[in-house]
Amino acid sequence: MKVVACYSNKGGVGKTATAVNLSYAAAASGLRVLLCDLDPQGASGFYFRVKPSKKLKDDTFFRDEDRFAGAIRGSDFDNLDILPANMSYRDFDIFLSRMKNSQSRLKKALKAVDGDYDLILLDCPPNISALSENVFKAADRIVVPVIPTTLSERTFEQLLEFFVDHDLDRGKLLAFFSMVQGRKTLHHETMEKMRGIYSELFLATVIPFSSEIEKMGLHRAPVAAYAGGRFAARAYSMLWAEVGARF
Amino acid sequence: MRRVGESFALSGRIRGKALGKDVGALRLELEPEAPPVAFALLDQFDCPLGKSHRALIEAEGKLILLAAQAGGREQPAARSGHFIADLQPGPVGEALSDLSPLRSLLALGQGRMVVRRATLLDEEEKTQARAWLRRLEPDGPGAVVTLVELQYLRGYDLAFDQLRRRLRGAAPHIELEALAESLFPGTPAYEAKPQVPLAPGEPAARAAAALIGAHIAVARQNEGGVIADIDTEFLHDYRVSLRKVRSVLSLFRGVYDAALTDELKRAFSDLMAPTGRLRDLDVYLLERDLYFDLLPATLHSGLSAMFDLFARERAAEQAKLARRFGEQAYADQIGRLQRVFAEPDALAKGPMADYPVLGYARKLIWARYHKVCKLAAEITDKTPDNEVHALRIGCKKLRYLMEFFAPLFPASQMAPLIKPLKRLQDGLGLFNDYAVQQQSLRALLATPGADLRDDAEAIARSVDALIAILHQRQLEQRARLTDSFAGFDNAELRARFAAQFHDGGETA
Repeated sequence: MKVVACYSNKGGVGKTATAVNLSYAAAASGLRVLLCDLDPQGASGFYFRVKPSKKLKDDTFFRDEDRFAGAIRGSDFDNLDILPANMSYRDFDIFLSRMKNSQSRLKKALKAVDGDYDLILLDCPPNISALSENVFKAADRIVVPVIPTTLSERTFEQLLEFFVDHDLDRGKLLAFFSMVQGRKTLHHETMEKMRGIYSELFLATVIPFSSEIEKMGLHRAPVAAYAGGRFAARAYSMLWAEVGARF
Repeated sequence: MRRVGESFALSGRIRGKALGKDVGALRLELEPEAPPVAFALLDQFDCPLGKSHRALIEAEGKLILLAAQAGGREQPAARSGHFIADLQPGPVGEALSDLSPLRSLLALGQGRMVVRRATLLDEEEKTQARAWLRRLEPDGPGAVVTLVELQYLRGYDLAFDQLRRRLRGAAPHIELEALAESLFPGTPAYEAKPQVPLAPGEPAARAAAALIGAHIAVARQNEGGVIADIDTEFLHDYRVSLRKVRSVLSLFRGVYDAALTDELKRAFSDLMAPTGRLRDLDVYLLERDLYFDLLPATLHSGLSAMFDLFARERAAEQAKLARRFGEQAYADQIGRLQRVFAEPDALAKGPMADYPVLGYARKLIWARYHKVCKLAAEITDKTPDNEVHALRIGCKKLRYLMEFFAPLFPASQMAPLIKPLKRLQDGLGLFNDYAVQQQSLRALLATPGADLRDDAEAIARSVDALIAILHQRQLEQRARLTDSFAGFDNAELRARFAAQFHDGGETA
């Protein structure tokens, strides 16, 4: 079982869209996939029409294997299950601070479904916290969407610094450019610059800014489910192919 | 254990009305029917899929496997042949790995299939349970059956149960085991080892006739498959059935008049004789991969030439046998024997003819068991091969007797006796295979004119190397046999045999 986190320390970068569409693409490729929504806002669950979990709240997530497994719901798509979020996840840091081995609790919790899945995708909330440290430990690969703007560049640098300061494995990071607008010169210049500096960290696939992706909230489904032939859907499937090849 | 899907069959067509609209708080949505497509129901000749409550459908370029306890799987149907190994790698092929690699998949019948989907949705239009309804309309006089593949969506157990209940209630249920018979009635179920019912007080001669009649019938069921050359198991089963007939004739001593017995033995031997060479060639060709694995690549060209020879000869032998099976003379020959055993009372009796079969069975098994033990006890590392072969034959006879008479005894008593015997037989069989393979390879080299071929030298080199390896394997197997004897020839098993067949143990 492999664990891939969709993570960014900046909000609004297309993180949930990435988690939803990557998990769909991975499942379509034949892998048994669990998308685990760690963001208390529950957007991943919303896109799959799965209601927030009632029973898996507070620290049961980390303490109760049966409840963890029992909260999983099958999506409408083959091979793809969802662990929906609960509002109480906003207090994850508090629960974690009370636990022993607080940095590896997530890894331990995911073991409850080891064997049921080939791949677990984590949709993470946008901050650097005790939970994100758990994510960095549990994940084999961390997919980081980066909008090619100055501000995103800065948060990406902060993430890298955090990895260095905490002696984390930078090799896990797989960044890609997200919500790219082809007509914006700034986007092109930033991408060129960042590829120059962090070439080994960036994937080749670029996810465009697209109205098809925006419509996910309307359709409440992954892009490929309602616009399979369109460029945005193909881009996510290419992105998955690239991520999958990094194992 | 994690839940999975479920499959079952329902009689006839499932109409929307029968399913209703809402199920509790959930909405039942029945999609319109897709246009009809052609389908075929596949299984091997002895129907291992049906017997294990599975159904394999080929339609629209896909193989769809439904299992009573596990829902459905699909993969592309395109394949290089009809054996399990010929399927593309995929979930269906994986789930069929328990099937015989020697048996070809057959279309048991064809027809039209109409697919539609039933879904249970919640108020957010989330699917909570889903079922594929595949209505099978067979060509011919069979009944319409709807196959239901219920998909389990994790965490929605209640909806799954609700949809299942609704569907199950929509029409009478048909076991997947009975699917083929419902769709395509009249195809007789094939059972290579028929259980012939025997009454304890039945005269031995009648029991013998019933066993022989049943096994001739099994042999005849295989004729079509031999003619069509579907797979090598047809001829194998044909021969095994007739061999069992001959065993009844020789093992059931005294049930028929001696002269009649001899005549019948000859008649069955004549029936089998024309099949021997084809079976030998089938066996060689089945070993092809093994031989290639045994030899280094430098010797493979000789092997290829050898197997080309075998393949050509096999094609000729198969054509010859197929012709023979199609001839009136053959039908007369085997038909006459069939009729002889259909009227058992008309057969000239031997001194044991009216002996009650239960006592007769005990006598035969007990005596045969003793003989086998005596042979086994004398075997050491130095015993000549032919005595090991004699033991193998003895074991086979004992096994046949125990299988013929199995309906007379409780299954629970027979199983622990047959198991160690089977283990011993497997070991002896392997030893014998190595010996026979060497023999036949030598025979190949000795074939008149073999040395005149262009590739004679290459073949001879490969064959020599193979014989050396097989000889080594035979020696190793010989050393292993001692353990199998110990598992068979021991006080505990002897006591069990005595209790069942000598001291008058339980009967069925």
